[in-house]
Amino acid sequence: MTANHIESEAVAPRVRKQNPATLGKLVSGDFIYSYGIAIALAILVALVAIGDPSFLSLTNLINMLGQWAPAGIMAVAMTYVIIVRGFDLSIASGFSLCAIVAALAAAGGYSNGVAFAAALLTGLAIGVFNGALVAGFAINPFIATVGSGFILLGLDIILTPNAYITVDQSGFDSLGSGSWLGIPIKGFILIAFLLAGEFVLKRTRYGQYLYAVGGNPEAARLSGLHVRTLTGSTYLFLGFATGVAGLLAASQLASAQARMEPTIVFDVIAIVVLGGTSLAGGSGAIWRTAVGLAIIATISNGFTLLGLSPFYQSIVKGTVILLAVALEGWAQRVTTAKLAQRSAAEASVSGRETT
Amino acid sequence: MNDIQPRWYQSRGLVPKSGWAPLLRRYGIVLAFLMLVIAVAIGSPSFLSLQNLLNIVVQWTPAGILAVGATFVILAGGFDLSAASGFALCTVVAAILATNGIPVSLSFLVAILVGVGIGIINAILIVALKINPFIATLASGFALAGAPFILVENPFIMVSEDGFDTLGTGHWLGIPYSGLVLLAFFVIGDVLLSRTPYGQSIYSIGGNPEASHLFGIRVGLVTASTYVVSGLSMGVAAIVSASQLSYSASEQDPALIFDVIVSVVVGGTSLAGGYGAMWRTAIGLATLATLQNGLNLLQVDSSSQYIVKGFIIIVALGFDVWMRSLAQSSERSARRPQSTAQPATYAKALSAAEEKT
Amino acid sequence: MTIEDRGLAPMIATDAAPIPVSLRDVSKFFPGVVALRGVSLDLLAGEVHGLIGENGAGKSTLIKIIAGAHKPDEGEISLFGETLDTADPRAREKAGVGVIYQERAIVPELSASANVFLGRTINWGPFISSRATKRRFRELAGRLGADINPNTPAGSLSVANQQLLEIMRALQNDHRILILDEPTTALGAPERRNLYKIVDELRQQGLALIFISHDLDEVRSLCDRISVMHNGELVATAPVSNWTKQSMVAAMLGGAPLRSGIARNPPAEALALSVKELTIPGVVERVSFTVHKGEILGIAGLIGSGRTEILRAIAGADGRFDGEIEIEGRSKPWPATVPRALEYGIALAPEDRRRQGLVLGLSAADNVTLTDLGKASMAGIVTEKRRIDLAAQVMRGLAFNLSRLGMPAQTLSGGNQQKLVIGKWLFRDPKVLLLDEPTQGIDVGAKAEIFSVIADLANQGTAVVLVSSEFEEVLDLADRILVVGNGRALATLTRKDASIKRILDLLFAVEETA
Repeated sequence: MTANHIESEAVAPRVRKQNPATLGKLVSGDFIYSYGIAIALAILVALVAIGDPSFLSLTNLINMLGQWAPAGIMAVAMTYVIIVRGFDLSIASGFSLCAIVAALAAAGGYSNGVAFAAALLTGLAIGVFNGALVAGFAINPFIATVGSGFILLGLDIILTPNAYITVDQSGFDSLGSGSWLGIPIKGFILIAFLLAGEFVLKRTRYGQYLYAVGGNPEAARLSGLHVRTLTGSTYLFLGFATGVAGLLAASQLASAQARMEPTIVFDVIAIVVLGGTSLAGGSGAIWRTAVGLAIIATISNGFTLLGLSPFYQSIVKGTVILLAVALEGWAQRVTTAKLAQRSAAEASVSGRETT
Repeated sequence: MNDIQPRWYQSRGLVPKSGWAPLLRRYGIVLAFLMLVIAVAIGSPSFLSLQNLLNIVVQWTPAGILAVGATFVILAGGFDLSAASGFALCTVVAAILATNGIPVSLSFLVAILVGVGIGIINAILIVALKINPFIATLASGFALAGAPFILVENPFIMVSEDGFDTLGTGHWLGIPYSGLVLLAFFVIGDVLLSRTPYGQSIYSIGGNPEASHLFGIRVGLVTASTYVVSGLSMGVAAIVSASQLSYSASEQDPALIFDVIVSVVVGGTSLAGGYGAMWRTAIGLATLATLQNGLNLLQVDSSSQYIVKGFIIIVALGFDVWMRSLAQSSERSARRPQSTAQPATYAKALSAAEEKT
Repeated sequence: MTIEDRGLAPMIATDAAPIPVSLRDVSKFFPGVVALRGVSLDLLAGEVHGLIGENGAGKSTLIKIIAGAHKPDEGEISLFGETLDTADPRAREKAGVGVIYQERAIVPELSASANVFLGRTINWGPFISSRATKRRFRELAGRLGADINPNTPAGSLSVANQQLLEIMRALQNDHRILILDEPTTALGAPERRNLYKIVDELRQQGLALIFISHDLDEVRSLCDRISVMHNGELVATAPVSNWTKQSMVAAMLGGAPLRSGIARNPPAEALALSVKELTIPGVVERVSFTVHKGEILGIAGLIGSGRTEILRAIAGADGRFDGEIEIEGRSKPWPATVPRALEYGIALAPEDRRRQGLVLGLSAADNVTLTDLGKASMAGIVTEKRRIDLAAQVMRGLAFNLSRLGMPAQTLSGGNQQKLVIGKWLFRDPKVLLLDEPTQGIDVGAKAEIFSVIADLANQGTAVVLVSSEFEEVLDLADRILVVGNGRALATLTRKDASIKRILDLLFAVEETA
């Protein structure tokens, strides 16, 4: 039998599956790292609530849910992309484009259904394009999507010569502004994405394959996985999510313009990164993205309620992204060092094994 | 003796060995540029007039200076997405100081120092904290974008103080000062890169960070310095621009960062690092300027120009990737995992060096 | 150049002349790997010290510690009597250490001369002096008989020339210690002769040289003393006259043979796999072999023989190749992708278990079931319990501690990781299982377990192809052995005819008396 004297992990009587979360789990106090973000969220909420109790009012919370739906939906899909070591900087322009397409279709007399479908198709097309660039042509995802982002920005501007496209068609704003049981429909869609997103990742073959591809693309390939297809599919999903987000935004405002939310890309990245999903790929979860979403929403909402300048937000968010990434990187390095120490301990105990 | 060579001793071989490809890669852009100039000149003879050319130079100086800084960073294998925001912030700083009684030259100096400071911050994030340069500069750029609005209620400042616009609009023997500054940056940048040990160490790090470390090059320090250079370029570009317009360009013009990257990439410098030159950036800038001028003459609106530029960058990237894959297939080296082609980061270089047993 | 040609005996360290390099009980650990274990070694001035050992034996780690690229985790290293605490390549350079690394330390886009003077350019004021640089370049090139244009980008040079650049780089300064790690692999005969001459000159000048090579002839003719490493330990150090090629290889392979003593069913008549005229450009030419169902075919060869590449080619890991392949007697197009090879029933457990074999961030159970996740899922949805159960089924047979199934693969020992790599392919139930170094770097107990699993597998009808540097284990398990070397299939031995001696004789094409 293998002599393995060093067992620093608890042995469960039943096999208990550990989440393929970040390797930060091995850091002493790994509980704090893994769930630290939830603790941070709690503290943040407490701070804001103390500053302004109306933060925790049902109205406010429901508002936030609806307000952050588009970003949250894109963040779910962005999580998938990041898990496979990808990235997408084109979502701001893509988001606008999908909104513009929906608005144009509706303003042009097509039914709302057609308009929404058009937005979704546009999103999918963007996803195909980005996926082809990154997975097909192996172009660095950062650069490729900066490039595609510009193309999309150009399209946005071309399609909106009059700056705004307004839509009068009745029913167009049903998805974006409508509610059901007091909760915005957008909110339901967001929750659906969150739940389905987590389910697919954790429970389906596809999701498990994504973790493998992100964790070690070469080993995944040698295990028979179709790495390029899997990678490309995440961009497709993100394109679709962008379509959904765009149409919701257009629907809510009953209008669209070229630069609808240029900073949304930072929000989306911040959401994913704050949740603890590693940019190195191979780990992450949608529950994390949900926590990240709550944190960003709290920061933004908090700023508004407490009367702080919105421009401080960009500094705070930027800093927070940096902190999260730096922390995660540090945790990985500590893990590696600890494992090296483990080898040392094992070696000294088992001693010389060959004669 | 063994006449079949073992493969895993082969280098990463980024240079294609087959006949026409290396030449195309090296000088294709020059040819493309010349053809473009001819095409535009035919379409509009006034294009080649001295006045027009000088105008173009003046207009493109800020982007050009930023491109010089970007070249340093990209050659070393990194990236700086914060340049546009940093630039904007520096213009605001210069404007604020000048409109509050600080002498123009001091205002400019402080603006430059702010740029350098931004560069230092980026360097710390990337080298000391080992954050991926894209994320680090994306985030720092985002943070910096808000900074002008915190410094002052309305960062869109008109400056009418005397002497503020000398740098931007003055001439020396008919040559605009802007042009001279740009020229100085290109020349000094080129000399540093191609003729000094420092420049060579930049190429070295971009091309093979592990080997550079093994042979004593201070990878971290050199990488950090490239971000500082980028920061410096933000400051100088800012004072030139503010001086030209007598106005602080605190609005983040998305096209600016783009023009900068495109200039570098179109010139043939590889985004993976280790291959390229300052003259390439100069040609890239000139090509872009000519193209834009030509598009303007054809009355193509600016939004379509975005699309054109977007395609250019993707084509240029694709070309770069294609050239590199040509090299790899001609060597058929032991299949290394196809990297996601991210520029080597300092952290990766260190860990790769540590991992090899 | 033979021993007799050398008139000089190596200098012996005295109190007046401190020992150039001294290592005491040096150990170095990486995650999951003990790279060096308690190594003590002295390198003397005026000697060429040979260092041999198989892949993973620790030679490269050892020299990196000397060169300052790594810091020892235990033990100490001293140069000329001074103990060193920091691992700084620059400082070592100044202390007189020069290195030629095994991995190409070339910057492909820089010119040949820039590469030679990497990190130590010849300057004129603040600028690089291209004239002085070129002059010195030609000098160095002349010494080696190299004909290289200093301006060409190093990446477009032939491999041999790149190697020469690295040698030139090491020679340009006045070193007192010179490390050469596989410096001649790409060189032709005349260049090698030049290098040997230079090495000899340096020895006579009193340098301490350490020479790593897998060419045992070269090592024996050039070196004064030879040290052998195996699995991170220094097995033996002795003057060259004490070694024969036989004894060197025996020491490299680590000593006591492993007798698994497992009963084996005779392999079936039917063929599982037939490979004809496989050519991998630059590696092997027209290799042919067959594997029967239930047979274990061993492939014996040294580093550079192409054994890994052959396996990868069959497993679809490296694209299409010239050659024919037959699965169970039926001719098929060459498997150009891994999924295609899997369709044929061919599976590969790769050489580098950490980088190619496992996704370290996933749990053990997840890794094992990755190859056929469909078994644990219904309509695309994976049932965790079923997944773990299936993984347990497979890993039980490998004597794997099942409570570890939930742990991230990264935290497991080398032996356990290797079991996962094998387990994941057992899970897939292949017709032909290719194993590349399945017992590298793992302890004796785990090795025995893995051997019995392999034997069981073959007994149940799976065809197994086994590549291992440990010829003893190949001999033990294999029904037939394919000996590969010099890019060719040299011979196929049956279990009866095979012995270490026979294999070595074939590989070296020399008759050695023990």
